[in-house]
Amino acid sequence: MVLSQREQERYSRQILLFGKEGQERLKKAHIFIAGAGGLGSPVSIYLAVAGVGTITIVDMDTIDQTNLNRQILHSDRDIGRKKTASAQEKLEEINPDITVNAIDVRIDTANAANLVGNADGIVDAMDNYPIRYLLNDIAIKKSIPLFHGGIRGFYGQATTIIPGATPCLRCIIPKPPPAEVFPAVGVTAGLIGMVQATEVLKYFLGMGELLTGRLMIWDGLQARAEEICVERNPGCEACSGLVTKGITMGENK
Amino acid sequence: MTVKIRFFARFRELLGNDIMMDVDAGTMFAPLITTIAKKNPEGYAAIFDENGAFREFVILMKNGKRIEIADSAKTVVEDGDEIAVFPPVAGG
Repeated sequence: MVLSQREQERYSRQILLFGKEGQERLKKAHIFIAGAGGLGSPVSIYLAVAGVGTITIVDMDTIDQTNLNRQILHSDRDIGRKKTASAQEKLEEINPDITVNAIDVRIDTANAANLVGNADGIVDAMDNYPIRYLLNDIAIKKSIPLFHGGIRGFYGQATTIIPGATPCLRCIIPKPPPAEVFPAVGVTAGLIGMVQATEVLKYFLGMGELLTGRLMIWDGLQARAEEICVERNPGCEACSGLVTKGITMGENK
Repeated sequence: MTVKIRFFARFRELLGNDIMMDVDAGTMFAPLITTIAKKNPEGYAAIFDENGAFREFVILMKNGKRIEIADSAKTVVEDGDEIAVFPPVAGG
């Protein structure tokens, strides 16, 4: 996939980092972002400016005043609009050289596999575990990575899941914390979203070492990023049937 | 013998950072956490339910290895062990 003159100029500073070839890999890549809220906003904005060629972003909600302290895709004037309409508009404005598919639908067991389609990876920017577990199942089924993130107040967590090579979300978090109206501040969503977006770029570029087999835990109050090692659960209801494999990066089609 | 207990996120807010404890040989994982958590009723309630069992979402680790809640009452802690107690978060 050849880069236009404009693209070469737009991405010149990061082409210094990973070359034209890396930039072309990003252009070929298709990422699926589940959620256009606190995590989905920074993840989609930064993957858009980085030049990930196709971004599919799904959300069913309407923008509310209470979203605006953290959901930086949306502005005051967007209150009452669908999050997908705002996302489509903002992301295309930010980078007209990428393709954005914003889909206004509730992700469920019947539509999830189709929605993800032939995307090369899934970003978990959801706010509940039932849908996270569903995304985990789809990632396993399609053998594509799941970039997990979660936030609460000043705390956050993130990990990268490569089905068969790493523990899956159910291995790591077999039982979800209770549903609640969680306290949220934009800076935590921004920070965890950046960890997820960095992982996506590294995966597509085949650079560095992924956040695999480790759950990163961010404590914003203490300004400490720590990690706990996580392992596959041989009895995991979601992934125990998978044959163990190694991590291959840059596997986008 | 001494073990180190590390609480994370909200548990840390309620119960403190890294806690060094002198324990007797044969001390079990679950009762040890119970003893420490009881120092703050709110911290205890965050980790344990009304029946004194770990809340099902709590993640327990010993030296970087997962301890299943079901096994925590019969898992012995040893000198130098590092124990982690962590609440996963759900927001996005």
